[in-house]
Amino acid sequence: MNEFTPGIDLTGTDLELRSAGMKRHVLIVEDEFVNREILTAYLESDYDVLTADTGAKALEAVNAHADTLSLVLLDLILPDMHGLDILRKMKEDTKSARIPVIVMTSDTESEVESLNIGASDFISKPYPMPKVIQARVRRTIELSENRDLIRWTERDHLTGLFNRDYFYRYAGQYDTFHPHESADAVVVDISHFHMVNERYGKVYGDEMLKRVGRELRALMDASGGIACRREADTFLVYGPHRADYADFLDRLSAAAGGESRSRIRLRMGVYADVDKSIDMERRFDHAKMAADSIRNDFNTAIACYDISLHEKEMYAERLLDDFQEAIDQKQFLVYFQPKYDIRPDSPVLYGAEALVRWKHPELGMISPGVFVPLFESNGLVRDLDHYVWREAAAQLRDWKQRLGFCVPVSVNVSRVDMMDPELTDTLRGLIADSGLSFTDLHLEITESAYTQDAKQIIATVSRLRDMGFVIEMDDFGSGYSSLNMISTLPIDALKLDMQFIRTAFSEKGNTRMLEITVDIARALGVPMIAEGVETEEQMLKLKEFGCDVVQGYYFARPMPAADFEPFLLKQKATDY
Amino acid sequence: MLTIDSLRAWGADIETGLNRCINNEAFYLRLVDKCIRDEAFVQLKASVEAGDLARGFELAHALKGSTSNLALDPVSRPVTEITELLRSRTDTDYSVLLNQIMSERDALINLL
Repeated sequence: MNEFTPGIDLTGTDLELRSAGMKRHVLIVEDEFVNREILTAYLESDYDVLTADTGAKALEAVNAHADTLSLVLLDLILPDMHGLDILRKMKEDTKSARIPVIVMTSDTESEVESLNIGASDFISKPYPMPKVIQARVRRTIELSENRDLIRWTERDHLTGLFNRDYFYRYAGQYDTFHPHESADAVVVDISHFHMVNERYGKVYGDEMLKRVGRELRALMDASGGIACRREADTFLVYGPHRADYADFLDRLSAAAGGESRSRIRLRMGVYADVDKSIDMERRFDHAKMAADSIRNDFNTAIACYDISLHEKEMYAERLLDDFQEAIDQKQFLVYFQPKYDIRPDSPVLYGAEALVRWKHPELGMISPGVFVPLFESNGLVRDLDHYVWREAAAQLRDWKQRLGFCVPVSVNVSRVDMMDPELTDTLRGLIADSGLSFTDLHLEITESAYTQDAKQIIATVSRLRDMGFVIEMDDFGSGYSSLNMISTLPIDALKLDMQFIRTAFSEKGNTRMLEITVDIARALGVPMIAEGVETEEQMLKLKEFGCDVVQGYYFARPMPAADFEPFLLKQKATDY
Repeated sequence: MLTIDSLRAWGADIETGLNRCINNEAFYLRLVDKCIRDEAFVQLKASVEAGDLARGFELAHALKGSTSNLALDPVSRPVTEITELLRSRTDTDYSVLLNQIMSERDALINLL
């Protein structure tokens, strides 16, 4: 199934020409005048005949008419070179490889060799009767055109690999011929291929795809199996099971880099030892799923499919499907977790963080650790954030009106929100509609957002701050901000990454980093908020280091608004 | 003047030769005329006598193609024979075959 000539380029023009009823072009390569005349006489009524009496002229003619030649009749003994060398050259050149060649010889050994090199047929000398030659010429052209047509429809024209539809069919055939061997379904992607196209142009990108295609064919020729280009930069491979794909990937990666020898990163998903009872496209869905699981993981290039991955993916799909309904039906619940100011002798309610929970009608309570990263990866988190902001604002307003008292509530502003040009308008509208003041709502912006597109983020944050919002830098210590940069950031509080607390109070207890971090907040003159605080020991230690505000199970878990109300009332009573 | 009859009398397989030339007598005679005048005959003799069997083979091979296609049997038979000997560069006395070829070719020239 891999006999396909490397790098064949079917431009279509030839096929179109020929099907438009034009005379096909035939080249006769023969040094003997008599023979040349005889063959010309046989063919000139049906074909446009070109002739060449030397090997050099033959190659010249082939090059000049590669797109339009339908056949070459080739004598083997020529004054300047052997006909087999011409045949070899033609078959090696991608432009002329498709042209069928009939070899003319009186020597049986050359017949076999010429067929092996790629001749379509041979005609012996002395020539058989004219009708025999005419019929063989016609038949050879017909077969070759039919083959071209089949290739034209079943191949990807850029790489010469199968196209998607035919690939699945041939993969099925592969199973039929290898019923007892285990097979792998593999998906290969070029990472950030659109960037290659953008940076170096489409021609460069196409060349890269061709190189990968060629290498894939070489690999398939060596090991068996078939390959296709599914679309753009995605290749599919179906073949015998391999224990290890590292070499396979290395070869493709080197091929993609080409002469530049630059390392092009490829991503590979392998569904090994496929279950042959499931249909072919599903097998490749599995492989694709594996490849997608490492989309953003630059340390891993090969991922294997397993059932847990499948279940995870199915679960994620379900959540994505249910998202809009969950928003519409208010399945997302906003919980509040108190923050306490621990500087006074007895802690004082300082505020709360609004946290989202999903009460799914069928799947039950779903942790934000599951759905937030999912919605972050596809932008839905923007809708979710807006929902949480609205709910939190409405709740604040309700407390203010009914209880005549409230504490500031912080909400999360995701990276996606920060890129939203309408963010400031949205928030301004929210405050106006709910009748709150800007200081009622604190905005938690994750540290890693600052490092990603610092200039734009800083400009946006400054605008929000100028409007009157209080900005808390969330997950501080996880985003690799430089100290130099932090000192210039427009922030009102540092919120320590939960992992810091966990590490500092783990068995080996190293609180040194914690102390340094608190010192940074001190130097910036902003309060330090620690979250994830679970024990009294942790709380006291943090207090000792100089941490200002604490949030965590030690004081209270996140809770529904109704449960938070007593906390507010208690604080209100203390205040008065 | 070269005619179908004179060629037949000389020994050519006229039916086969004509058939191969799509039964066009004029075309056949024109090609035979061209073939008879081919310098390759003289060059073949000279090359082989000078011991250049490789060149001799090329020339013999070319003559074999045209004479056998035109069914000039009395000359194509010894040409085919010498071609195979030259192909394998056989070390032998080529004079008998060469003389046979040249005398048949002279006979043809006399028909012109």
